[in-house]
Amino acid sequence: MRLKSFKVIITFSFIILIVGLGYTQIFQGEYYQQLSVSNCIRVVPVHSNRGRILDRNGIALADTLAAFDVLVIPQELQDRDELFSFLGSVLGFGQGRIDAIYQRKRTASFAPVVIAEDVPREKAIILEENKFRFPGLLVQVRSRRHYPFGEAGAHVLGYVAKMSQERIERLKEYGYTIDGVMGYSGIEEQYDQMLRGVNGGLQIEVNNRGQQVRVLGMKVAHPGEDVMTTLDARIQQIAQTLMREQRGVIIVMNLDDGAILGMVSAPSFDPNDFASEAASNNRVRYFTDTRAPLFNRAIRGQYPPGSVFKIPVAIAGLYTKKINPHTTFVCHGSYTLGNRAFRCSHTHGAQDFTQGLGHSCNVYFFNTGLIIGPKLMEEYARLFGLGVFTKIDLPYEERGHVPHPDGFRARRWSKGDTLNFSIGQGDLLVTPIQIVNMIATVARDGRQIQPYIAQSIGAHAQPQGQVARVIHLPKNILDQVKEGLRAAVAGEGGTARAVFMKDLLVLGKTGTAQSSGNQEHHAWFVGYCPSAKTRIAFCVFLEYGGSSYNACRVSAQLLKEMKALEIL
Amino acid sequence: MLSDLKKAMWVSLMIIIVSGLLALFSASFQNSRVTQEVFYNQLVFSILGVVAIFFLGRVDHRRYYDLAYIAYGINVFLLVAIFLFGYYALGAKRWIEIFGFNFQPSEFMKLSLILALARYYTDHKPKVSFYNPWSRPAIVSDFFIPFAMTAAPAILIFKQPDLGTAILLVGIFFVMAFAAGVSTKHLGGFLGVCLLAMPILWHMMKPYQKDRLLVFLNPNVDPLGAGYTIIQSKIAIGSGQIFGKGWLSGTQNQLNFLPERHTDFIFSVIGEEWGFVGSVIVVVCFYLLILSGLRAVEQTKEKFSHLAGAGIVAIFALQVIINIGMVLGLCPIVGITLPFVSYGRSSFLVCILMFGFLLSLARQRKMF
Repeated sequence: MRLKSFKVIITFSFIILIVGLGYTQIFQGEYYQQLSVSNCIRVVPVHSNRGRILDRNGIALADTLAAFDVLVIPQELQDRDELFSFLGSVLGFGQGRIDAIYQRKRTASFAPVVIAEDVPREKAIILEENKFRFPGLLVQVRSRRHYPFGEAGAHVLGYVAKMSQERIERLKEYGYTIDGVMGYSGIEEQYDQMLRGVNGGLQIEVNNRGQQVRVLGMKVAHPGEDVMTTLDARIQQIAQTLMREQRGVIIVMNLDDGAILGMVSAPSFDPNDFASEAASNNRVRYFTDTRAPLFNRAIRGQYPPGSVFKIPVAIAGLYTKKINPHTTFVCHGSYTLGNRAFRCSHTHGAQDFTQGLGHSCNVYFFNTGLIIGPKLMEEYARLFGLGVFTKIDLPYEERGHVPHPDGFRARRWSKGDTLNFSIGQGDLLVTPIQIVNMIATVARDGRQIQPYIAQSIGAHAQPQGQVARVIHLPKNILDQVKEGLRAAVAGEGGTARAVFMKDLLVLGKTGTAQSSGNQEHHAWFVGYCPSAKTRIAFCVFLEYGGSSYNACRVSAQLLKEMKALEIL
Repeated sequence: MLSDLKKAMWVSLMIIIVSGLLALFSASFQNSRVTQEVFYNQLVFSILGVVAIFFLGRVDHRRYYDLAYIAYGINVFLLVAIFLFGYYALGAKRWIEIFGFNFQPSEFMKLSLILALARYYTDHKPKVSFYNPWSRPAIVSDFFIPFAMTAAPAILIFKQPDLGTAILLVGIFFVMAFAAGVSTKHLGGFLGVCLLAMPILWHMMKPYQKDRLLVFLNPNVDPLGAGYTIIQSKIAIGSGQIFGKGWLSGTQNQLNFLPERHTDFIFSVIGEEWGFVGSVIVVVCFYLLILSGLRAVEQTKEKFSHLAGAGIVAIFALQVIINIGMVLGLCPIVGITLPFVSYGRSSFLVCILMFGFLLSLARQRKMF
């Protein structure tokens, strides 16, 4: 009798078991299937190799190397002293120092501690071979961006770093992932999409400890493309050496096609510091230094051009026939407007056009400016690319500023403003690349060239030698201006005599621009070499560099060294 | 009809043993040392076991009456001996070595207790139903003496610690008392008192004692967290879906996600690799086996054999239900094995003895 109730209870329990099985395996089967897949399948990203950045001769300016880091996992350590003395003997530092690094960096027992970064390959192999003897020792390979020339041309190249949160948000639709790196500033940022390639991935099956059991699938990573630039590593190094103690810019551009051969902004930074944990102090310094070493002055720095601006003023005067080559003004060392004296550098006496430009006589251009008026000067400034983006293939270019005499700030445009404007002072601000572009336009008889840095990406050549715009100017006007530019370098009492070279024709214009406050003046020299082996336009700008004479000396040195290397 | 009964029992048993061996092979074949230790061991044991069952089925089940108290006495003695000579494994002191064999006396205690209680209730018919239920002799002979017989080994096993088996022993007491005809009213009252005592006991415990009790409940608490085992088991069974992932192809099993898969969680391997279809076949075989056993018990007139058979069927069913319920997440995880399937020699041997007894009941009928 009582066995009947056994039967009922047992039958009931078995029905529950079968219902339970059905619920788990049929009703929830899909769900558990997915859980079991995510349990044992991992996708491991395979990072593509970032493309190189090359100079015009194929020399690597930025390369990707394998870096070996030595790490220690605290919780897996067994014999710490033995491991550290072994590490010390291989790495060549004392055991005490390794212990000190370990003590300083250790955070949690599971978090690996970086003992040494970027260990040479041979040492990494020795450590890897002995890994089994020392539990807790880890040698990790990572790819590291390497810039062989360090500070030279760092601004043009940019650097590579981990993505910031803001950039991930903005770029995640384009396949950027949080663990990736990306280019910041310069070529690295401008051509990041081409340089980075396409990441691949491995789909692997893992066991309960996360160890790989086998590979299920693979998506091949496509390496990034090399970007060949127009830069010449030799010019970059010369320029970097010349600017070592200065702040400022050197730009060298090929007159014929607009290729940038050299571009250096000083003070510079070492982009290798962004690829190394150990250099984090340097990175902090770059961001906090008041001299702004990360700032690319060549395309972002906005400065008054000073006398360099006399070139478009002169052209405006000649073209509108308000002056002619024989127009003469007498310089008494200053120009008096009302009760205010606008000074010239010297007392030049009577100056014709060529002398006025060659001697950079302020009084000559005060008079010219007053005759042609500020609106015409503004028009010519813009015509020659001042206050206009050059559209060079680098990110974050600045526009500069050309004042509008009509809609001028709160007060009315005064005659004094016109005087300042005519010698490139006052509200006028330009970037060094605009100035190079301007002199090149003069040298090329009004055919404005498009400056560029990337000449080919992978196998694809970039457009080069493109004429951005043609300014129709009578040849005789340009010849007159060029005569003045030649006189500045080669002429008697020319302001740029320091640049004169017996075996090289150089034409150019100096500029000494007043800076704000009581600081030193900015020094400019902008010129071109129309008959050299490689026809170039160039600019040397020294921020707070004092007299333009300093810029001329640097220019002379630059040309001499380029000549010695038979570039010119 | 009886030969049909025997046939049904044999067929279900063979299906269960074979599916268990297949699952054990799948759970161990990747590591030859484990295969050797687990699979071949169990294979040899299964073959010997089937032969043993064949002979045990021919033994006169009334012989067990004579052996009941002796077996009980030896078994309790072995449990005491464990405290002196036993060794630890998996965090508990459960094993003892005799003549070069490792025994787990707690497994045998289940059968010994069933036999001892069956004999006790045969010798001392429950009186409560015939006399004044509150008379002192009735309570003493119906409850206190058999409960003391249960409590002594149960406490020893609880101390090992092995809460699962200890609870099973208490369960055996209730099953036997019920089958023997002790008044359900009083049995229910007694059970109620026991159940009421549990939360009170729980509240009296300190937090670390509670934690310890939870560890008793789940002796293989995982370092990844208490829920890990059951989550992995449910993933394994659920992901088998209707037809399973195929023999030797269960990822949860082969990639080591499933803990304890040779022993307590062997059914998860079956669920994952053979799916709903395979699992239900195994469950139904267990059900048929239990039902045939129950049929054989029903037809047994001798009081002792009837009681012992009922106890054996009940404990067998309880283990199947708790084990499968536990891998499905329907019951808490207590270390209870799946009869004839889980790896473990002591548990397998006890199952053989129990099944042999049931088979002898089925055989015995022929003589009448």
